[in-house]
Amino acid sequence: MVKVFDGLSRRDFLKLCGTVGATVGLADLFTVEKVAAALKSAAKKPPVIWLEGQDCAGCTISFLTVEDPTPASLILDTISLRYHESVMAAAGHVAEKALDDTIKEGGYVLIVEGSIPDADDRFCMVGGRPFREILQETARKAKAIIAVGACAAYGGIPRGTPTKGMPASKVLPDKTIINLPTCPVHMDHVVGTIIYFLVTKKAPPLDKLNRPLMYFGMSVHENCRRRAHFDEERFLTDWNDPAQKDWCLLEKGCKGPETYSDCPIRRWNSGINFCIDAGAPCQGCSEPEFYVEQSPLYAMGAVTDRILAKKAAGLIPKKEIV
Amino acid sequence: MGKRITIDPVTRIEGHLKIEVEIENGKVKDAWSSGTMARGFEALLLGKDPRDASYVTSRFCGVCYSVHQIASARALDAAFGARVPWGGTLLRNLVMGAEYIYDHMIHFYHLSALDYLDVMAVANYKGKDPALNKVKEKVVGLVKRGDVFPLVPRYEPDEFSVNDPEIVISAVKHYLDALQMQVKAKNMGAIFGGRAPHYQSIVVGGFTQYPDINQVARFRSMLDEIAQFVNEVYIPDVVAFGTGPLLPLAQAGVGGGHLNYLSYGSFEMNQSGKKLLFKPGVIMGLNGGMAVKSFDQRKITESVHSSWYKKDPPKHPYEGEQVFDLTRSDAYSFVKAPRYGNVPMEVGPLARALVDQDPTILGLIKKQGVKPGAVARHAARAIETKKIVDAMYGWCDELTAAMTKPRFKIHDTAHWDPPATGEGAGFYEAPRGALGHWIRIKDHKIAGYQAVVPSTWNASPRDERGVRGQYEESLIGVPVPDPENPINVVRVIRSFDPCLACAIHLIDPRTNEIRKFIVE
Repeated sequence: MVKVFDGLSRRDFLKLCGTVGATVGLADLFTVEKVAAALKSAAKKPPVIWLEGQDCAGCTISFLTVEDPTPASLILDTISLRYHESVMAAAGHVAEKALDDTIKEGGYVLIVEGSIPDADDRFCMVGGRPFREILQETARKAKAIIAVGACAAYGGIPRGTPTKGMPASKVLPDKTIINLPTCPVHMDHVVGTIIYFLVTKKAPPLDKLNRPLMYFGMSVHENCRRRAHFDEERFLTDWNDPAQKDWCLLEKGCKGPETYSDCPIRRWNSGINFCIDAGAPCQGCSEPEFYVEQSPLYAMGAVTDRILAKKAAGLIPKKEIV
Repeated sequence: MGKRITIDPVTRIEGHLKIEVEIENGKVKDAWSSGTMARGFEALLLGKDPRDASYVTSRFCGVCYSVHQIASARALDAAFGARVPWGGTLLRNLVMGAEYIYDHMIHFYHLSALDYLDVMAVANYKGKDPALNKVKEKVVGLVKRGDVFPLVPRYEPDEFSVNDPEIVISAVKHYLDALQMQVKAKNMGAIFGGRAPHYQSIVVGGFTQYPDINQVARFRSMLDEIAQFVNEVYIPDVVAFGTGPLLPLAQAGVGGGHLNYLSYGSFEMNQSGKKLLFKPGVIMGLNGGMAVKSFDQRKITESVHSSWYKKDPPKHPYEGEQVFDLTRSDAYSFVKAPRYGNVPMEVGPLARALVDQDPTILGLIKKQGVKPGAVARHAARAIETKKIVDAMYGWCDELTAAMTKPRFKIHDTAHWDPPATGEGAGFYEAPRGALGHWIRIKDHKIAGYQAVVPSTWNASPRDERGVRGQYEESLIGVPVPDPENPINVVRVIRSFDPCLACAIHLIDPRTNEIRKFIVE
């Protein structure tokens, strides 16, 4: 078997490049040869530290749901996962030493999952220390910081609780943080962002909320296959009615027109499905307002009223057949 | 006084957990279990549209994703007076079945197996099997490059660690294969769930995904592949370990604890909901003859005696509140202490199997001399995975039949709008055990919300009477020959499949020096 880069067969590697290429959508920049050369030139696998704060581990589980490349090839062949509480064999002093050594070495990618309690450090303690301190210490020598999921990116659901979950950016005001919101993080978004960084040595172009434009550049509504029904105001009211099966979910609380993410094109779980195709309204999990300001989730409310007002004012263009 | 050691955090579990044990004469004499992270979801839900609850509470946990979604939806169903049509129930069963399979598989291979395997023994494999030699090549290759994260660093193997190269290499191969298989199980769930983790399609009254015949066919085809892995790999592995190198641990019943078991029952097998795949019931003290009594939810109370909440006598979840009090020096956990009839219970696969009087688990107890404990929990988990896989084929068939009939329904649309007032309890068996959600509605909004989750039952601290929770009790007597190497402690804790996440440090109280230890 041809080894393109240490530990990775050519076949696996092509799959990996395919994912990156498709992810980034810049075919000429990310040719197989260029990606191969970039990864090969790295003397060793890039070190990655993954920290968990006020999290549910859903982003970790989502990351482990990527199909091509396989989780095994990602964890063992592509990156050097130095510290991840839910995955690593070690704990205790060996785990801490691995973390300390990696911090000393510097140049690692830091991934943050979960929010940080603003109300009181004691709401999230790891190994007897406030999670906030651990994050600040680890961020100092990180080459790139990626906040995965709504909680780490904007505070997410914990933002509205008595613990006042805050985003990584609030704890690390001097750092550029790549935000990958959605709840949980999209598996392709994490893998693609890591690889983009490994290949180019820099963050992908970001929007004003620090989200990569390659994933968050268009609204869910723009690419929604139910969009024509929105234009014609055919709103689903009964999930049992096959005739309404594909109608717009606005009446059920859909926030698609105010939500930026490539979910309708990329879909989830290797393209198997995604919220709206499953008849479930988009809840705007890629936006900083998630969740408190987006309640009620399954009824008309402030968000859907605003959407209808914009529609009435002609501010939401109809779908054009090109 | 014995030597007190603190294990904080414990890795390869979900959440942030600290375990403290006191060791005397090479055995655990006393134990304390502390949850060290809190988010306060219940308080967040007050005043919100009740339908939000199933979506928000799904985010309690992303490992056992959507078990809260369904328990919450069931509480809402009860409060709204909604009756889920049979089509909706079948779809709920199918996506939750897929969640169980992924969850049990990842627990055995990726969270637990490393406690029992000397992974580096694969280097000594001398056999000719090409697939196994590929695994050897992979691991040896990582070692040569000096980068074996995250498999190494690791804990020093002990007497119960398996180091036979033939067994270890096939287990490592299965670790890698299972990584693929757990992806398949999640993707299978997403066919109807919308996405996984965190399904989107379970709502009050039923389900949102109107299924088509191709989806059922695709689901079934993926199920075939998974069923083959469960029957030909997962179950044989658990049998090989449990009746081989781990038989002494199994027969000693290490990690047994209180021997009280509770199951709420789950997975409707018929439209009336009276026949369930897992029966509900309670066993009060296995030594008392294992009589299974009926479950009465009114006997559940939650104590905050040792928890960082405002001091309050034990209450039923309908009456419970969540007011943090971080100043209480007599508290040591964010986890509350649920009790059933004032008694702590174990919940989870072993509790389900015993309450169900499952013949396979009873056979292990009677014929192999296995006692309820850490190893029996792994066995019960594997046995029920097969049970669920088999049931899922039946649900696929029933769904296909139901879909072809006129007036096929997945949702009770007549009960979609929140009632002015109401209350409801939703019970479900999560992979980790008995899960209950309770909701009170006033003025169409949430006026009270409480969840008592499986790891609250198992990881609870002491109650008013000083009685330990099940993790704590299950550690009593566990052999720790070397206090710097408390591998048996984490073996017992991980056998419960904790839903809190952590690593292990040991504190010597005399010097106050934090001495840290490897925990595999």
